[in-house]
Amino acid sequence: MYSSLVRLQNTFGFFTTVIFVVAAFIAVSDVVTPREPVVATLKTNQVQVVRGRPHYYSSKKEEYAVIKFSLDADLSSLFTWNTKQVFVYVTAEWPSSSAAKIAGNVTENQAVIWDTIITAPSSDHLANLGPAARKKLLKSAAGKAIDPSRGKLSIKNQKPKYQITHPSGKIAETDDVVLKLHYNVQPWVGMLTWNQDIDMFRWKKLKNGMSKKFALPAIKKKVEAKKTTAGTGK
Amino acid sequence: MAEQLLDKVRDVAEGQIDFEGQKLAELLANVALTLVGIIAFAVGYLLQDIKLAVYIALGGTALTFLIVTPPWSFFNRNPVKWLPVGGPPQPPANIVVNEKSLR
Repeated sequence: MYSSLVRLQNTFGFFTTVIFVVAAFIAVSDVVTPREPVVATLKTNQVQVVRGRPHYYSSKKEEYAVIKFSLDADLSSLFTWNTKQVFVYVTAEWPSSSAAKIAGNVTENQAVIWDTIITAPSSDHLANLGPAARKKLLKSAAGKAIDPSRGKLSIKNQKPKYQITHPSGKIAETDDVVLKLHYNVQPWVGMLTWNQDIDMFRWKKLKNGMSKKFALPAIKKKVEAKKTTAGTGK
Repeated sequence: MAEQLLDKVRDVAEGQIDFEGQKLAELLANVALTLVGIIAFAVGYLLQDIKLAVYIALGGTALTFLIVTPPWSFFNRNPVKWLPVGGPPQPPANIVVNEKSLR
């Protein structure tokens, strides 16, 4: 502490220690904050299977399931001061056919059909949005440090973001498919955490996060009306 | 003249403080930074506002640097009393080395 430079270095050194300890406390404050995520409804509205190509130049045709769904969930308890953003996604999951099981292939299938990012007000400036949408988002949380109301999801008859298929290219007439809600809490400091299937200390498992079992229908037959107009064009 | 000026500049840049001042500076830095950390966490947790916590921590740290780093006069209240240059007149010592008397 003899000269200014030494004082600067020593003070900075202790500053890093303090910051590290405070960050550790912030991370621990997450663990003692209760989490009680609840799903009120998760159900399919309209399920169909269509044939399509994975990309424009592909000659391979695959079956794609298009699952429209409704979701009502209360994830507001996930939003604490240390929450940066919450990633919410819905998957369709089904067991493999018995033939595939015998062949030793995967026995469980899981595919994401929809997802969204819910930012906390503290990370609104990082959201990947256009200027108008960002302005609206910032305005919605003006003066708020946290906004748990953003965790209340109410989605009706949502079109899936992703049409799902299977490596075999066949997905029609699959039984025992369920929709599941998952989430992923991304903190400012601390561990990345997922939804749990068991209660852990003050974090309760995601209640009711699974839909009823449903079956994917047979392929929707293409209407042959197109052929009549095809001859007139080039 | 130029050398004197340069010495002055060097002194200001180096910012020496006395021993008591060094003790005080270390104590101040540790206490202030610890307090800043505690306040930042407590306020942030109670108001559930992480941005505020960061601003308090950074602002408090800047303040601590301002208090501790420059050679403020309160760090120089107990200057070391050096012996005068050349020393006080001393009785001539009778040192004998190899049977030859020095001085």
